[in-house]
Order: sequence, then C-alpha cells, then structure tokens
Amino acid sequence: MKEELFNRLKEAVTNGDSEEVSKLCERVIETGIDPLEAIEKGLVAAILELGDKWERGEAFLADLVAAADAMKAGISVLKNELAKSGKNIEYRGKVVIGTVEGDIHDIGKTLVGTLLETAGFEVIDLGADVPRQKFVEAVRQYNPDIVGMSALMTTTMLEQKETIEAIKQAGLRDKVKIIVGGAPTTDDWAKKIGADGWAPSAMSAVGLVDRLLGIKR
Amino acid sequence: MVRPRIEVLDKEEVLEIHRRSTSILNRVGIKIDHTEALKMLKNIGAEVDFDKKVAKIPEYLVKEALKRAPSSVRLYHRDGKQYIDLCGWNTYFDVGSAAIYYLDWKTDEIRRPLSRDLADVAKVADALPNTHIMSTALVPADIPETVVDRWRMYVVAKSCSKPIDTGAFTMEGVPDAAKLIGAVVGEENVGKKPFMIFAICPSDPLQWSDITMQNLLDCAKYRIPVHIIPMPQTGGTGPATIAGSVVQANAEFLAGMVVAQFTNPGAPVVYGGSPCVFDQRFGTNCLGSIEVGLITAALSQLAKFYGVPCAYYTMVSDAKAADPQASLEPAFGAMIAVLSGINMAVGSGMLLQENGISLVKLVIDDDIAGSALRFARGIQVDAETLAEKVIEEAGPGGLFLKYKHTRDWWKKEHFIPKLLDKRPVDPQGKSKTLNTAAKEYVEKILKEHSVEPLPPDIEKDLDRAMLDILKKYKIEEMPRW
Repeated sequence: MKEELFNRLKEAVTNGDSEEVSKLCERVIETGIDPLEAIEKGLVAAILELGDKWERGEAFLADLVAAADAMKAGISVLKNELAKSGKNIEYRGKVVIGTVEGDIHDIGKTLVGTLLETAGFEVIDLGADVPRQKFVEAVRQYNPDIVGMSALMTTTMLEQKETIEAIKQAGLRDKVKIIVGGAPTTDDWAKKIGADGWAPSAMSAVGLVDRLLGIKR
Repeated sequence: MVRPRIEVLDKEEVLEIHRRSTSILNRVGIKIDHTEALKMLKNIGAEVDFDKKVAKIPEYLVKEALKRAPSSVRLYHRDGKQYIDLCGWNTYFDVGSAAIYYLDWKTDEIRRPLSRDLADVAKVADALPNTHIMSTALVPADIPETVVDRWRMYVVAKSCSKPIDTGAFTMEGVPDAAKLIGAVVGEENVGKKPFMIFAICPSDPLQWSDITMQNLLDCAKYRIPVHIIPMPQTGGTGPATIAGSVVQANAEFLAGMVVAQFTNPGAPVVYGGSPCVFDQRFGTNCLGSIEVGLITAALSQLAKFYGVPCAYYTMVSDAKAADPQASLEPAFGAMIAVLSGINMAVGSGMLLQENGISLVKLVIDDDIAGSALRFARGIQVDAETLAEKVIEEAGPGGLFLKYKHTRDWWKKEHFIPKLLDKRPVDPQGKSKTLNTAAKEYVEKILKEHSVEPLPPDIEKDLDRAMLDILKKYKIEEMPRW
C-alpha cells in the first residue's frame, strides 16, 4: 500500500502532474504515512532519477521544470504535517537565487534553480529584477549557504557588483558564499567583483555549488 | 532570369502571423520598464497599466507606425560619402557584435579580448570584400565596464572605414555615441550620414528593459539607425514552435516600431532578430541550428510584407572552435540570408553561441558570403551567355580556353574564393587545410593591409570626444592599445 503510493507519487512527479501529486499527498496525510518518507521515497526520488535521465540525454529540460514544480506542489501539501512530525527534509544545502535589479531575464536563474532542486538543494527563488536590498534581506531571513545572482545583459552585470557591495555593507558577506552567472559574465568578472564562484552555464552551476559546499557525489 | 529565392510562408500565413502578433499586442500587451515611453504610448491611444508597466497597443497604431517607417535605411561609411542601402533583396554581411571572448588566431586560445584584438578584427573586416559592415565585435577587458560600450565604438571607428553595427549598454550610451559620430561626420550630420547602426534588444518574452527603451528613444530622436532584435528561444523565452516564435518576435518588433515612429516619424528602423533554438538537452541558446534559418526566413517575409528593411543573425555558429561546424552553420545561414532577401546577415566571425569572435572564422565566412552572394545573382540568360555561337565555333572536341568569349565571361560568371582550396592535389600530400590557409590570410592582412586613415583634424576631434567621455568616468588619460 505504502510502496504503491510512493510509486504513484514518483510517476506523477515524473509526468510533471502537480494536481495528481497534490491529491496523492493528501492521501499520504489521510493514511497516516510518514510525510518525510513520502517526500524522500516519492517526490525527491523521482526528481533525482529524472535529473540523472536528463544528464544521459533521455529527458528534456521542460520535463525537469514540470517535475520540479510538481515536487514543490507536493512538499507544500505535506509541509504542515511535516512540521507536526518534528522532522525536516534533509537538503544538501540552501541556495537563494535571483536576477539582479534592472534585468528582467528569468530563464537563466530559473534553470539553475531547477537543476539545483533536481540535485537535492533547497532553492529560494527571488525572481527577476531583484533590488539589492531584497538580496540582503533574503540572506538575513533564510540564512542560505549560497546566494546566486544572474545578469543576462552587458547592461546589467554591473548590478552584480553593487549587490555584493550591499551584502558586504550589511555585514553579511562572511555568512554566505556568493556565485554569479549569466551570458555576459566571466570568471574574471566574478573575481573582480569579489564573488566566490562563477559557472559558464546552468549545467555547470550544480558542480560549482557542490564544490563550494564540499559536496562529493 | 529568376532571382533565386525561397519563401517559407504563403501570403495567407504571413497575414495570419501579422494578425496574431497584433492581437497579442492588443490583448496581452508589452511590458516596458520606462515611464516616458509608457506615457507616450498612452498619449497616442494605447491602454497603459502604469503599475504593471504594461502597454496594450491597438492595431491602428501599428499600421500608422508602419506607414511612417522608411522602406530603406542607409548606412554610411566613416567618410560620409560611400554608403550601403538596406532595402529590397540586397544582402550585406555584418560581423557579429559584443562577444566577450576572443579566439586568438595565433594560439587557438579562448581568452578575454583586449582593445588591440578589437582593432585587429576591425582591420581584417576592413580588408574583406564580402564583409560589408564591421561591428563593435568584442567587449575589451582592458577598459572599465562602465564605459566599454563607447570605447568599442571609438576603437572600431579608428581602425575600420566601413559602417559599424554597435549597441549601448548604458543610459548615456547613445547621446555619447552621437558625439563620437558627430566628431567624424560633423554634428549636423549625425542623423543624416550615420555610420553606426544600433542593436536594440527587447527581452523576450514581450518585455523591454529601461536601458534598451532609452537607447531606442535616443536613436529615434537623433535619427540614428537601429535594428530591433527580438530573441525568442524556442521553448525557453518563446514558444517551442517555429510559427509561434515568429508571431512573438513580430509582436516585439512592432512594439518597438510604434515607439520609434511616434517618437520621431521616419526614424530609420530595421526589422532585426536573433531567434535561437533553446536546446533542452543542455539549456543552451543555439544560433547555428537549422530552425533558426526557418524563423529568420519567415521574419524576412514579414519585413517585406511591411515594406521595411531587415537584419537577422544568420552567420553565428555554436561551435567551440574554428572547426568544421563553425563553417557549415554559417554556410547554411548565408544561403538562407541571400535566398530570403535578408538585408543584413549578422554574425560573421562569431561562434561559441554569441560569445566569441574568431578571425579564422571571419575570413572563412567572407568566402562563404561571397559564394552565397554569387548564387543569389542567379543565371544570366541572353544570346551572349547562351553561347550558341561559341559552342558552334569550338565544335565537337574544341577547346574553349582559346576563345575571347571565355576571357570575357569566365571571371564575370564565377566567384573566386580566396581560401577554399581549388588547387591540384599536392603530390607530396602537403595541401593546406582551410584553417591553415585562413590563418595565413589573417596574418597577411594584418601585416599588409592599411586602413584609409582619418583626416588628422577629424582624428583629433574624435580623440577629444572620446577623452571627454572617459573623463566622466575619472579616466583622465587616453588608454593605450
């Protein structure tokens, strides 16, 4: 019964069917199954498998994005129950991401977010056109291991520097590792503005985060 | 003679795409992060939500804007005398702009570019016969990012006599560029004899950033030519379908056209675009994919339907080195450009998606461009070229080398490539590969070619204008390069 439900959860996540995942998670609660077990053996297991499939070229990004959304839909249904049980999901780390102020490009950082989620990280996505102060507040509020800033235009990459300055001025710089990315950015640029890391593509961002947090896979 | 051409849409489909694009402008609208532009759109009849920064643009504004738009856009050379006309079915080839990496032709190393690399690219482009427009190809790393957009223009204006495709990364970019243009052709001629065209890139889907919108408004005011460059990524920032990408790009272009033509009627606007394939296996934006050819050919048909000139990125390769992929992708692109009447085929020399410039690729692209342009010229058919007389004279077993007809016509009929190897087989097996020939050619141009210098007084004015700009950023002395 439990195993069957987990399998159905996995299938629904893999299909990116948020509605079905939510329904199944309600069933988890009704039947008194440990919510953490459902998350780990159902939701997360599915997303990790799909991530592997994508790396082998057997799944596409659109599948990953839909699956990550479905996983999050499931987690939000189980959230209260999980809190009651006093257990926590064991993420590999916590990452805050966003596109810097003045830049309305969403896609780069969303991809990074999805790939990090499929690699087992908790991701807090601040969206696009994020003011410096909002990054600062997010560091305070969520206490993440990593902050990732995206800039997709030559016109907006300068804002990455300003945002790092703002985090410094708030006295939070040593509490968090900062990574930057986006088409016009380079390794040199990242060093110049005092970031801890840079990755040339969404695909390589996961490896960068792993490296910065000392995670071996 | 039939001019060789391709059409990827029938007339009904063109009309249908136009209808869907205007429907999106009217119902969904365009987000514009620029209050002045939004106010202007509201004043002329658009429905504007200032909180959401979204303008819904009715079709009659689009029609009026298209009526005001010029059907040809003239790009001057630096001398203010020679020019090219972007119009009709003419195709001109243009170096790709704003790469952040340089593929060193001597070492094959991929590295950050320096100002002198940009000057080298400008000099090579100046010498190439089938590369008609130079661009601010590289973003040099030896100049602060705050002013590098204008510095590139200065370096290229000093090192190349051809028109320059460029863009501003800053709010003050265009007014400063107008000063640089003015220093060369005279202040009164900035809008009359502009030798720069600006890339104006909306942020797909359906958004315009404040800087891009400011650049568009400024260019329209100065009457400096622009190409508006929607860049939908199939399945990323645009629909996965080819037709959907065309609809979206068209809507974004039309929004920019409305802003430009209601800011300054007759503003020189080119229908641009850099559509790409979003490769879902890797999350990459690919410009060398064959579907990009379908999208750009379709966009060109839309431009012709509207009666405006067009410019699309058809020459960029996704290759990571000057390898066979780096030439075969632009070879498709060049053919599609000439056959679909794209007026500016953008991206010569460019690879690494849009991130790198290679001189090896640039000189090979020039042979590709020459070949494509020859194909587009088609077959001349008349009494002379049908050659019945000379066939009769030569008769069975005759040798055509002996006839004047051959001397007259061979060179007219053929494109003579500089690099593509047509030599006999070397008995020692020492034939050069294309890349070796290309490198030798780059070396030869850099050693032997001299760019027509600017008259000394003009050069002094240009230097002064650049230094004035640099001083605003606390750079007191002209950087050396």
